Amino acid sequence: MSASRMNVAFGAVFTGAVMLLYLPILTVALYAFFPVERGSIDLSAPTLGYFADLAGNVSVLEALANSGLAALLSSLLSLVVATLYAAYLREKSGPFKVAFEALIYAPFFLPPIVVGLSLLLASASSGIPRGVATIVLGHSLFTLAVVYRIISVRLANLPPSLVQASADLGASRLQTIRFVTIPHLMSAYVAAGLLAALLSFDETLITALVAGDTTTLPLRLWAMMRVGFSPSINALVVVVVGICLVLSLAAFATLSRETRPA
Amino acid sequence: MSARHILTYLVAILPLGLFIGYPLGALLWSSVSTSNEGAVTYTLAFLAEALSSPAYLAVLGVTLVICIATAIISVAIALPMALFVWSRPARYQPIALLVLILPMFMSYIVKIYTMRSLLGLNGFFNQLLLTTGIVDKPTTLFLFNRGSILATFVVLYIPFAALPIYLSLERVPANFVLAGRDLGASYARALKDIVLPLASPGIVAAALFAFILALGDFVTPQMVGGPSGMTFGRIVWSQFGLAFNYSLGAALGIVLLVVTVAALAGSGLASRALTARMGR
Repeated sequence: MSASRMNVAFGAVFTGAVMLLYLPILTVALYAFFPVERGSIDLSAPTLGYFADLAGNVSVLEALANSGLAALLSSLLSLVVATLYAAYLREKSGPFKVAFEALIYAPFFLPPIVVGLSLLLASASSGIPRGVATIVLGHSLFTLAVVYRIISVRLANLPPSLVQASADLGASRLQTIRFVTIPHLMSAYVAAGLLAALLSFDETLITALVAGDTTTLPLRLWAMMRVGFSPSINALVVVVVGICLVLSLAAFATLSRETRPA
Repeated sequence: MSARHILTYLVAILPLGLFIGYPLGALLWSSVSTSNEGAVTYTLAFLAEALSSPAYLAVLGVTLVICIATAIISVAIALPMALFVWSRPARYQPIALLVLILPMFMSYIVKIYTMRSLLGLNGFFNQLLLTTGIVDKPTTLFLFNRGSILATFVVLYIPFAALPIYLSLERVPANFVLAGRDLGASYARALKDIVLPLASPGIVAAALFAFILALGDFVTPQMVGGPSGMTFGRIVWSQFGLAFNYSLGAALGIVLLVVTVAALAGSGLASRALTARMGR
């Protein structure tokens, strides 16, 4: 096959799969803005009524608050912990570093059900009740791998000559960290933080096992789906996808601005 | 190592041991013990049941087949997608990449919901069949079976397979392809003999991601699989709900852990073998 014909074939698969991935979500989103009667949609009378219903739904608002809190706390926690490990392991090598990184990456590579199960059993055997704290812990473990990876790669790219120059110019170690290292890491922090918040906001399987009686937005949506169809689910889908979209576009923009040569 | 080094090492490993090592230990411990009003007894009965019950083994077999099929189909779709993005001019690559991986972040639970509304009684496929007159009443052919689980897994995990493939393609120097073409290879031959071998670690990683993500999933099979769509993940999950048997749940979880570690090790070996063959 010629190059152009192969590209047409690849393009066809790409287009077909993209439609498969995007169209169902767009259709559901459309249903959120129009009244639905007996399965058919009335396109003549757009409405925001389903969103108003959501705003008055206490359990949805509570789930939204929990999801937001878990995303904020777990991403901050993983940023701090990932920074400490990236700094500690930077100069290390050999089996020592491999062992540390295996532990850091493990929760990301194991199936979420195994991680969630382990945390659930740990909370049962240690007597720590399940709730927002265990959700934050579970999400931090899961996002730590991603955040550690981004920060450690960026830290490795910091030219040692910059740190030496800073010291030669009379800066203390703290001043070097404040004025050289942190500015160098800043955009990595923003991207990693956004990505961690996004992963936490979307996390369902670990959360289902460690949440106890607490509910998050994905768990709430899951429960609403099991009960059956209601138009307000479509409105909630729009809200959830909207939040995910904003976070991921922001993370992508930060990362791609960074990789562009200055 | 000096005493100070050992001390910092211990301080550094402590949080990881506490929050990762301890839970995994609790999983192992729960699978071999049961407590009754504070009295703990140790037993291998739960592990034996998890490994020998014909019912669990049958479900494990079905689950492995679904997960392997998910890995193969996801890679078969993700590979041409990644090749398409990779062969775009540099200017358009970031936007094409964004389109490729954005669905990864568009909410797991929402995607299951949309697949359900696509495959369901009032869903898109049924509407299509009804309007075209192929069927005269809605069919349940699309939902609540193993096929619907597989289809949903593939839709969920294509982006997770596409990303590692694209990242490994990105590392193939463009002039390798040009060199191959100069030496008389067709574009297809250059892809097959130069690009794909170099990208093989990414392809193996893609299959591994899709396999592992599908392996432990218990929400998808429940929502689109119905009663006939029992998977191993659902059995594990049910031990912590209605069945309320933590020890058996832990033992079944160990089985999933072992399968995962085997898949990780197998893909590591496959990756190494493919790379080594290339070196010759």
